[in-house]
Amino acid sequence: MNNVKAKILIVDDSELNRALLSDMLSADFEILEAENGVEAMEILHEQELEISLMLLDIVMPVMDGFEVLSVMNQKEWIKSIPVIMISAETGGAYIDRAYDLGAIDYISRPFDERTVKHRVMSNFMLTIKQKEMSELLSSQIYEKEKDNSLMIEILSHIVEFRNGESGLHVLHVHAITKMLLERLVKKTDKYELSNKDIRLISNASALHDIGKISIPSEILNKPGRFTPEEYEIMKKHTVEGANMLSDIPFRKNESLIRIGYQICRWHHERYDGKGYPDGLKGDDIPIAAQVVAMADVYDALTSERVYKPPYTPDEAMRMILNGECGAFSPLLLECLNDISESLKTELNVISFGHATDNVIHDTVKQMLETDGGDASNRSIQLLERERMKYQYLLDISREIVFEYNSVPEFIKLSELGAESLGIPMKIIEPANNKVWTRMFAREDFEHFVAKIKETTPENPVLSEKYLLNINRDKKWCKVIAKAIWSDGEMPEFEGAVGKIVDINEEFAAMQSLEQKADCDSRTGLFNHNAAKRRISAILSENKGKNKRYALTVFDLDNFKEANDVYGHLFGDEVLEEIASRIKASTRSTDIAARMGGDEFILFMEYKETVEPQIKRIFKKLTEPFKEFDVGISMGVACVESYDGDYDTLFTMADTAMYTVKRNKKNSFSFYNDSMKSLLQAD
Amino acid sequence: MTVKECYALIGADYDNVLSRLRTDERITKFLFKVAEDKSYELLCDSLKTQNMPEAFRAAHTIKGVCMNLSLTKLYASAERLTEALRGRTEYGDDIPPLFEQLKSDYESTVNGIRMLQ
Repeated sequence: MNNVKAKILIVDDSELNRALLSDMLSADFEILEAENGVEAMEILHEQELEISLMLLDIVMPVMDGFEVLSVMNQKEWIKSIPVIMISAETGGAYIDRAYDLGAIDYISRPFDERTVKHRVMSNFMLTIKQKEMSELLSSQIYEKEKDNSLMIEILSHIVEFRNGESGLHVLHVHAITKMLLERLVKKTDKYELSNKDIRLISNASALHDIGKISIPSEILNKPGRFTPEEYEIMKKHTVEGANMLSDIPFRKNESLIRIGYQICRWHHERYDGKGYPDGLKGDDIPIAAQVVAMADVYDALTSERVYKPPYTPDEAMRMILNGECGAFSPLLLECLNDISESLKTELNVISFGHATDNVIHDTVKQMLETDGGDASNRSIQLLERERMKYQYLLDISREIVFEYNSVPEFIKLSELGAESLGIPMKIIEPANNKVWTRMFAREDFEHFVAKIKETTPENPVLSEKYLLNINRDKKWCKVIAKAIWSDGEMPEFEGAVGKIVDINEEFAAMQSLEQKADCDSRTGLFNHNAAKRRISAILSENKGKNKRYALTVFDLDNFKEANDVYGHLFGDEVLEEIASRIKASTRSTDIAARMGGDEFILFMEYKETVEPQIKRIFKKLTEPFKEFDVGISMGVACVESYDGDYDTLFTMADTAMYTVKRNKKNSFSFYNDSMKSLLQAD
Repeated sequence: MTVKECYALIGADYDNVLSRLRTDERITKFLFKVAEDKSYELLCDSLKTQNMPEAFRAAHTIKGVCMNLSLTKLYASAERLTEALRGRTEYGDDIPPLFEQLKSDYESTVNGIRMLQ
């Protein structure tokens, strides 16, 4: 063991039991404790790769030991973390069930120091050994794969150099074959290709032209067109190559030989049955040969040959899709089309050593993944460092940062976040947690969870506004979060990370700004635009309905005199007085506005008749103000089941007001049809 | 009073605990924790409110603790109560006498431990 102690997680609801175990083990291990299953889940969630071993009690509140094992199975943690059960339960059924769920050992109470130490240490050493073995194995696989690839490459390069080509063709065909196959298995499972098969076919693709070794080099390297006889000889490279492989003694059943045979013999067959040497048609041509054939054609088109210049990738793609070069299955054509962009970049970066090494790295990685290997110590260290950085940034951030985990359901807040919200850092089952729902109303929170689950791995970010209750203050907050989806073909929702931003001030400021923009600063009434917008909205909403409205337009008869005689300050006072009289004699549903200067409008809905109301308002408005006699000219337009627009209504009221002005002033008049001529004359 | 005398007083198996936990110092440390442990209070409360699963867990914890420290007498009464409570959904007449026994054993055990302090 090195000087850094390995971590052991003790999960037991009894503090005394945890302390006792910790006492026995702390000399050799760093101890983490959890007092129930959910706490254990949280720790595993964060430090999965660092926990070397887990001691797990069975009977616990909130989430018991069996449930912990089930979740560990579900999340595949059980593969990397050895679990030793501890319990006073010695019943066979309990032990069986724990073993079935993947526990590796069982310590029964009462604890005996020697037993506990011995069991923990030997299981720990066992896992360490296993890790070492898998690392050893991976380097051996690496060496073996490297040798294999090298042999295949040497062999195929001999062919290519003889062919006067650079040798890149083999690498390109390998890369294209692999990409096509990977795309193909995403589209269909009809060929039943495993990762291993894909690797095998890609490797075997290097053999496709080995038959050319038997073709005379005058023909092979002829710059011009072949004569029919030469072409017949050239075509033989398919059967020759296949025979070379099938003639290898004792190895006929090796899968590399079997697949190599298919590729050599049939990589010049066509899907329409017009290829050579056997004229196979459709899916009678093995899929390995179909794919390599396509890779071969694509690379031949995009590379320079003695008999032709290179085509661009787009031209090559068009030619293949149009059937000008070979005939392929529609499904493969789709695959080629799908990968066309990545092909361009991928083929550009291929050079010799690079490609080989990459392929082998991929291979080893893949093998280890499928064979259940462990992440290396190096990556665990990196992970630990990343978490340390993240934790530090979280600590110094003034923002409320949170993590939401779906199964088991919990919320984790940054320390400062929890402090400023006045709630604990960890909230288990938030929707049922009173502390949480007091802050984040349950229906709002459920709305948030539903919304974040509706996101997709491509579009995982969500931003919503909620009215939160923070330390007894209602505050508008924005919740911005990114959903976390699992990798793989069927991504599953795992949780989210995000932050809560207080936008209350911003929100209030916006509202007051909106209000300010709508108001006349002198009188506090609406300005004309705002009034027009509101009235138009009412009119269009109630179009055709049996409603009655009155629009009143009026101005002061002698406002100029008020300004001239008593000064502008007094003029302002008059306007303010008029506004406050309007406010006093109208209802909140009425709309009153100052249009500018000394002109005002008033819009109201009425039931039977509006005349008494108008009279009352007129009387109120024309009361003297200080030493000034207020005179008003007022026009009123009344409409019923109106389906016109605001401007028409306004012109009617305006016309009525002008008839007053023209006659005697200081009075009011209702618009009627006899004024129509005036209206039109204007 | 020595730890051995204390164990004799409260009806517990000193030789057994010493063979497992190895030192008097460690045994004493954990005996004191028994006196502070909240499981007994939790058991009393859960029985009062007839919260049977909670009562089971509390009795089960006491049993486990006693086992670890070889508190034989208290272990026996905790075990009887635990088994009576296992899987129970309703309170019954068999419980009060079992609880009384546990209560009396618990009190004499804790009193014995306090004399060590």
